[in-house]
Amino acid sequence: MKALWARTTGLDRLIVAVLLLGILASFFLLGARPQGERVLVERGGRLLFSAPLAENRVVDLEGPLGITRLEIRDGQVRILASPCPTKACIGMGAIACAGEMLACVPNELLVRIEGAGKGAAHDLLSR
Amino acid sequence: MTSSAVDPQVLAAARRRTFLALFTALAVALHTLEYLLPAPAPWFRLGFANILTLAALFLYGPRAAWGVTLGRVLLGSLVVGTLFSPGFFLSLAGGTAATAVMTAAYRLGGRRIGPVGVSALGAVGHALGQLALAYLLLVRHPGLWQLLPAFLLFALGAGLANGFAASWLLDLLRGHPAFRGEQEE
Repeated sequence: MKALWARTTGLDRLIVAVLLLGILASFFLLGARPQGERVLVERGGRLLFSAPLAENRVVDLEGPLGITRLEIRDGQVRILASPCPTKACIGMGAIACAGEMLACVPNELLVRIEGAGKGAAHDLLSR
Repeated sequence: MTSSAVDPQVLAAARRRTFLALFTALAVALHTLEYLLPAPAPWFRLGFANILTLAALFLYGPRAAWGVTLGRVLLGSLVVGTLFSPGFFLSLAGGTAATAVMTAAYRLGGRRIGPVGVSALGAVGHALGQLALAYLLLVRHPGLWQLLPAFLLFALGAGLANGFAASWLLDLLRGHPAFRGEQEE
């Protein structure tokens, strides 16, 4: 059996490389998720707080370490202040799209955004 | 061969028909086998049947490739019982798009393009054709396009694997006496 590489012509390799690049680019172009609808905050799997993303507000959320301050502004959510030692949650910046998350592990808070649709369902197309 | 009295051209045509029928039959078998395999998601299928379309394309040319693809989709769907169901039309759209892309690549690329390149293009064409029809006919939800990158990446991987398989099959067939002197049109 010939080596796999020897089975491809130069043009084959070029085609595969171009397709691969195109697909990787499409991950960035199409991968953008739709704007989210609601902000949900969970602690230990329980829903702590929920609000529409469109409403500007600042909320204080109680965690085991203290109060984490969450800001919703212009359709974006960010953590303003946190009692945790690492501040990694603040460093995560702002999120805006459905499915995105912010987490503060020390303070056991999980902030996520939920979209309007439930995504493309597969019902009719299950084969 | 015993048929010395037969016109060699008639013999070649009969051989060609026989092998195309075999290719189509094998493609139907693979189509059916693949249907039986569990798929992680609706569209993530490997497209093994395309190996036979590639073999037909490289041995007998574009018309033969069309014959194998369309025959395979029709008969394969009949066998697994999805004829004229949404799945059938998705298969048909994918197969048509893939074969259109592959025959075009084969015509344009000539000797410089091998089965692997053609297969990769065909796989991506298949994925695009199928998703486009799914969007037009069934889902009409922009969220469908978010599936596209992952779907295409999977298709490219499967296309490469099929391309190598087809390349190996072509080597095997071309080494066989029945294919001596059989070159693409």
